[in-house]
Formats: sequence, structure tokens, C-alpha cells
Amino acid sequence: MKVALENDFRRGLSGTRNWDLVGWVFAVMNLIFLICAVGLGCFLLVESVPVVRSEGLGFWLGENWWVGETFGALPMICGSLIVTGLAVILVLPVALSGALFTSEYLLPSFRRRVKGVMELLAGVPGIIYGLLGVSFLTVGIKDVLNLLDGNTLFTAGCLLAIMILPTVLTLSEDALRSVPAEFHEAAEGLGLTKLQTAWRVVLPQSLPGIAGAILLGVGRAMGETIAVMLVVGSLDRVPGFNFFVSGQTIPSKLGREAAEALGSGLHWSALMGLGLTLFLVVAILTFCGNIFIRRSSQ
Amino acid sequence: MNAIAVEKVVLAFIGAVTFFIVVLLVFILGIMFVKGLPAFHAGFLFEESRDFGHSGGIFYQAVGTLILMATAVLWSLPVALGSVLFQTEYLSRSGKFKNFLTQLTYILNATPTILFGLVGYLFFGVYLDKGVSWVTGSLILAVMILPTLQVSFREAVEALPEKYREAGMALGFSRLSQIRRIILPQCFYGMVTGVLLGLARAAGETAAIMFTATTFSGIQWPQSFSDPVPTLQTHILVLAQEAANPESIAQAWGAGLVLLGLVFILTLTAWAFRTRMVMESEQ
Repeated sequence: MKVALENDFRRGLSGTRNWDLVGWVFAVMNLIFLICAVGLGCFLLVESVPVVRSEGLGFWLGENWWVGETFGALPMICGSLIVTGLAVILVLPVALSGALFTSEYLLPSFRRRVKGVMELLAGVPGIIYGLLGVSFLTVGIKDVLNLLDGNTLFTAGCLLAIMILPTVLTLSEDALRSVPAEFHEAAEGLGLTKLQTAWRVVLPQSLPGIAGAILLGVGRAMGETIAVMLVVGSLDRVPGFNFFVSGQTIPSKLGREAAEALGSGLHWSALMGLGLTLFLVVAILTFCGNIFIRRSSQ
Repeated sequence: MNAIAVEKVVLAFIGAVTFFIVVLLVFILGIMFVKGLPAFHAGFLFEESRDFGHSGGIFYQAVGTLILMATAVLWSLPVALGSVLFQTEYLSRSGKFKNFLTQLTYILNATPTILFGLVGYLFFGVYLDKGVSWVTGSLILAVMILPTLQVSFREAVEALPEKYREAGMALGFSRLSQIRRIILPQCFYGMVTGVLLGLARAAGETAAIMFTATTFSGIQWPQSFSDPVPTLQTHILVLAQEAANPESIAQAWGAGLVLLGLVFILTLTAWAFRTRMVMESEQ
């Protein structure tokens, strides 16, 4: 164990590990970072203990969230899953077609421009999408589908699909590009057309990278607060399979109620429990996504 | 249908989809300008908002966003720089501990921002008793942008050609002068990139600060660190919730255009510096 730990540190010039003062300062900075990251998880865990103790497993399975009486997170969990699932289903064919076209058919100069625009758009603040959603998407969906209220789970899913499109597209394009040129040449040598090459050679080869891109996109969609909060309708109920009704997601619930519960009581603990659930799901998705992406770029 | 016909159909289809994506994105940007520009009357940027944001300008909100993001980077910069230099200079290249720290950076980067708001408020606002204030908000944002800075810094340091380090070693530099004379100057542009990207991320963030740093109306200027700050993001949020009111939504578009402009300018400047960094390291 001691040897394993020692291998973790770089040796100085003379082969020793004589740290200067600055080294210790850097180590302290690193410790602060470590505390921030680990502390975030620990705080969520510790603070959600009271609600889990009072509700038990019913916290995740209960259907009713009545402040002061009972806290059940099922409506929010279902809402988050539905909204994220819709976003992925909507974004997948579009992003993959776009990525395929960009990587296999566009000229390099064009490709760089498309990538640049995508990366710029990936940084557009959520509140801007929220504003667009409130002004156009809710009204449009209400009119087209003849609903009473345009603030539905479906609206939130569409908005999230638009939001994660640049991320998923640019990451899957990276995965497609990372297939070595020899594979293309071998396929051409066998007389395969461009499409056959893409379908039979490039896609299977870059599947882990694409899976990673999707997982990271899902992670982002699941955590988005503001844009979803503005269009989802904020109604706590288990939606079943009708997506054209108002609902609630975990982040939108947190955004709506954090200001009321501020800092104490079982209500706050219940919100922290929701936060913990979200944190664990997103952390796992991100971890797996990064593993897939790293494997594809090797 | 033969293979060539299929090829043509599929190509036409994915080409059309790509075209649709481009149109969609151009539409989004276009809409921002079409809707946002009418809100710009003389002094939109330099007047205070009146009438609960329904008229007047966005001066205090814009300044609030700027000072909040600037203080966040101020807190975050030393921690990011120190931890990255520790990881690259003091830890061995492929140790388990370094791997663990890298994974932690990625997970922190992907954590939903509202969670920074929740936990940060509990820690800074309640335990350290800072309440809803500038300092709480900026510390929360500082933790949130930490991975952004770290990733850029690490890219810059690791892109440094090994011969630079070897030259330093040959001159008998200590680790400290290695860092001060070689790594910091050579990685300067990469660090600027990181700082600008961090600023852009902090400027665009709403969820983490909406109940930790801001109150909507009635305040102008934080008199001290423990006062709340008005920001563009929360201004838009409040106005967008009254979407039925044409006056308020018009103001929201104007503020949105300013915010989007700010984020784009920061990002594009960051890229300009990044290109410069790449050019230097290839020399």
C-alpha cells in the first residue's frame, strides 16, 4: 500500500520528494477542490437522512408530496424520466444524421464551421431556451395539438432535445471522426460505397463514443432546471403514459420550492433527498459516458 | 432498388436533416435579434429598471451579472491553478490518485447546477450565516466553474512540449522556478482561455443563483458583500413567467439578447486565445 501511494508522486531532481512551500500551497488548493467535490455529495447524503428516516422507501415510491404531511418523490422521478426519454428519442435520429453528414460528407472547412457553431450553441444559457420555450414552443404546441395548456411534459422534452442537440451532435461527430483512416481505405478497397462504409464500418467502430455522447447529453438534460421549470407546468402527479399533460421534474421541483424551504425542516430534507437522487443518477451517467468516450478515442 | 439509389436517398435524407438543424439554429439566433432589438431604446443599457422591470433599462442587472461572475472567477482562479499545478507537477503522470481527481473533475462538471445552489446555500448561507447575498452567490458560482477552469488549465499545461521542461531541468531549475519561469509564461494563453470560459459559464447560470444571490426588485447596488445582487438571468426569469404581458416579455427579450451577446463574446474571445495557444505549442 505504501509503495502504491509513493508511486503516485513525482520525484524531484535529486530523486527525493523534498516539497517546497509552494508545493504545500498547491496541495492545500487541491484539498479545497477535493473538499468541494466530495463535500457536495456528503452534504446531500447527510441532509437527506431525516426524510428517508421518516418516509423510508416510501420517499421514492410515494405519489403524494404534501408539505408538512408526506413526501413522495415518484411524480418528480417519473417526470424526469419521461422528459429525458422524450428528449433522447427526439434528438437521436436528428443528431446522428447530422453527425454522419458532417463527418463523412462535408468538406473540412465546412466541417470546422459547423463544429464551431455547435460548440458555441452548447454554451447558450438555459434561461434563453426557457424564454424561447415560453414564447414559442408552449403556444405552438397548444395550438397544433389543440390542448388547454401548452405547458406539458412533451413541451419540456422538445425544448431539452433542442438544448442537447449541439452537445450530442458534436460529441458523436468526434466519435465518428476517430475511426482510423485505414478502416476507410480498407472498405474502399473492398468496393464499398460511402454509405456502406459508414453503416458497416464507421458506425459499429464508433458505437462506444456515440453511446458516451448520448449519456453525457442525457446527463445534461436530466439536470436542466430553468428551461424545464418554465415550460413543464409544475404539477406534481404521476403522469402515466399521457405525455401531453403538465408534470414536474426533479430539478424543476427543486427550483420551485428551494426558496420556500430554505435551510431547515423536513421539507428541506425532502428537497435534499430529491437532489441526492438526481446527483447519483447524473454522476453514474457521466462516469459511464466518459468511460465510453475514452475507449472510443483510444 | 439498387445500392446507388439507396445511397442517394439516404444522402438526401441526412443532408436534409443537417440543413434542418442549421435552419433551426439560425432561427433561434435570428429570433433573439428580431425580438430583442426593439427593446433597445436610448439608454436601455444605462437606465435602471422601473415598474417591476416592465419599463426602463437593465443597468443594475447587467452590472450585477458582471460583478457576480468576476468575483466567482476571483475565488475560483487560485484554487483551480493550484490544484492543476499540484496534479501535473507534483503527482506522477498516471497515478491512481490523479486519475481519481480527474474523474472527480468530470463529475463535478456534469453535476446539475441547481445542486450547487442547494448545497451552497446550506453551507455558505446557513452554516456560515451569509444569507442570500453577493458572497454566497459568488462562492457557489466559484465552485460551479472550478472544473471549467481546471480542464482548460490542465489542457494547457499538458500541451506543453516535453523539451521545454527538459531544458529547464538541464539548467538546474528547481520545481518552483520551473513553474514560474517556464510553465506559467508558456501556458498563459491557455489560462486566459480557461478564465474566459469560466466567466461565460458563470454569466449564463441561473438555477444556482436564483435563490442564493438575488432578489428581484427594490435593490440597485450591493452596498456590501452581504447584500443581494440583481442579475440579468433572474431578471429574465421573473419577466418570462409573466409571458402573457407584452411589456414584460419585450423587456425579457432585450435582456436576453444582452446576456447572449455577453456569453458569445466571452466564448469567442476564449477561442481566439486557444488558437493562439495551439499555435505556440506547435512551434
